Amino acid sequence: MARPKCFDAGDKGLMNTIAVRSNSLSQHQFKWLLVVPLVAFFMLFFVIPVGLLFATSFNPAKVGQVALISDLTFDNYIRFFSRSNYLMAAGRSIFLAGIVSVITLIVAYPMAYVIAKTENPARNTFLLILVLASMQLDMVIRLYGMMVILGDNGLINQILQAMGLTDDPVALMYNFRGVVFGLVQFALPFMILTLLGVIKGIPPSLEEAARSLGASRIKAFTRVTLPASMPGILSGSLLVFALSISSYIVPALMGGFRVGVLPIHIYQQVAQSARFQFGATIAVILFLISATAVVVYLKLGNRSSGGLA
Amino acid sequence: MERKIPLPILVLAILGFCYLLFPILVVVLAGLTTGEFLTFPPKGLSLRWVISFLNSEKYLSAFFFSFKLALMTMVVSTILGTAAALFLARSRFVGRAALRAFFLSPVVLPGVVVGFALYAFFITSGLGISRTIWGLWIGHILYSTPYVIGTVGASLATFDVSLEEAGRSLGASPLRAFHKITFPNITQGIQAGSIFAFIVSFGQFEVSLFLSAPNSEPLPIAMYNSLRYKFEPDAAAAGIFAITLVIASVLLTNRLVNIRRLMEPQED
Repeated sequence: MARPKCFDAGDKGLMNTIAVRSNSLSQHQFKWLLVVPLVAFFMLFFVIPVGLLFATSFNPAKVGQVALISDLTFDNYIRFFSRSNYLMAAGRSIFLAGIVSVITLIVAYPMAYVIAKTENPARNTFLLILVLASMQLDMVIRLYGMMVILGDNGLINQILQAMGLTDDPVALMYNFRGVVFGLVQFALPFMILTLLGVIKGIPPSLEEAARSLGASRIKAFTRVTLPASMPGILSGSLLVFALSISSYIVPALMGGFRVGVLPIHIYQQVAQSARFQFGATIAVILFLISATAVVVYLKLGNRSSGGLA
Repeated sequence: MERKIPLPILVLAILGFCYLLFPILVVVLAGLTTGEFLTFPPKGLSLRWVISFLNSEKYLSAFFFSFKLALMTMVVSTILGTAAALFLARSRFVGRAALRAFFLSPVVLPGVVVGFALYAFFITSGLGISRTIWGLWIGHILYSTPYVIGTVGASLATFDVSLEEAGRSLGASPLRAFHKITFPNITQGIQAGSIFAFIVSFGQFEVSLFLSAPNSEPLPIAMYNSLRYKFEPDAAAAGIFAITLVIASVLLTNRLVNIRRLMEPQED
């Protein structure tokens, strides 16, 4: 990330020449020592466990058995891809994450645009604090609020009934719609932060040039700023896709277990039916879908989210 | 300057902020309501549920369990993450970008899958720490360290390395130059990173799902378990304390490092 400036400067200054020459071998070894603990931690508690999970998914299904055995089989994958139940869950997950990406983009863009164009430092910081604080807040607490608003006896239904617009409560949650509402709330800060970096990077002179050539404010925005923020739109959408396809808590609470997406199936297979091998198979499939989105996101070159997302 | 923003965009942005913040406001109101549940318009405000939370064995112990776990996570994440961020910033190693992406990847990979993988690993390896605070600790470190790397990395990016090089050329050992010159300049970045690590662990749900034990649960899991069946206003009161904690830490972060600068695009 931060390339040491002395290396970029090359041999421009005497100071740098001295400094580079004094980079002894021992200093290089010292540098490696800095990263060894974290690499070891990630190997032991991330790579190996996920690797074992992959291996488990190729073991014959046996209820209640966690331990790995040496038998290899594709039965779990055949089961996954031959049952419409699971295929539909995969399709539903992808469809859900896709819809959420699009809606989050539409909601987040104006917010990111306003933050980027707010030049008053205090006001700008205040808006960023609002976004960061909501991003860091426990999702269960945010969903508690969403449920109080969207429930059958929730605030929206109380208002609708008080105004006489509806007699029966409108089902705003415990269905697909509810999960979408919840996931958009979850993903908004990530999308805002990604878009913010890109919008800030667009020179204001571009929009001004369009304006001076007679374009209206709206037209300058739709013809110049919006297309120029395409890289942020793409990487933000991929990030939101990966985050929302992985979420368990939102479909669990907002869908009331009626929206069977992949994370819900994993939990049911493992915690309720003790089918570790088949649970591992679904987990591997979810992991691969999510990792694909993340890899594409990284390939696009994400320089925009300030290293936080 | 704000006048440059077209009105329709401003209106949409305000609606967006309502969408983002209103659920949080509702939790605060639900925790302060007089009645059994939140109605519209609210019946009145009282501290009834806050007191109920402070007397509830379930939520109070979960709150302190999460607090302890977050502190434990913060210590390890800060040390591991700061060291790794220093390496990533100073090394000329070719795979640097890939290594950084690898360290940041837990943030975007499914927490339920990683939690399940760790759960199965703890059982098969005979470590005996599945469903204990130690297992949760490991899972949380995995998910908190990326935030330390991001924040410390950002503060290293704004620090002029030639200062340290100058110290070195004047005869300071690498360790001494780091200790006397670089470290004081990135201290605040490290502090901000550790606050992030704390708060990410405090609010962590997905990884905890498979790793927590029924009798000692972190706050998000305890709230989730009750929320599945009914709305308990003392859960909302617990939420008020968590919201206060998050706002305080973001404000503190902002005092330590300039949040606006943290959000700016970084050179690779």
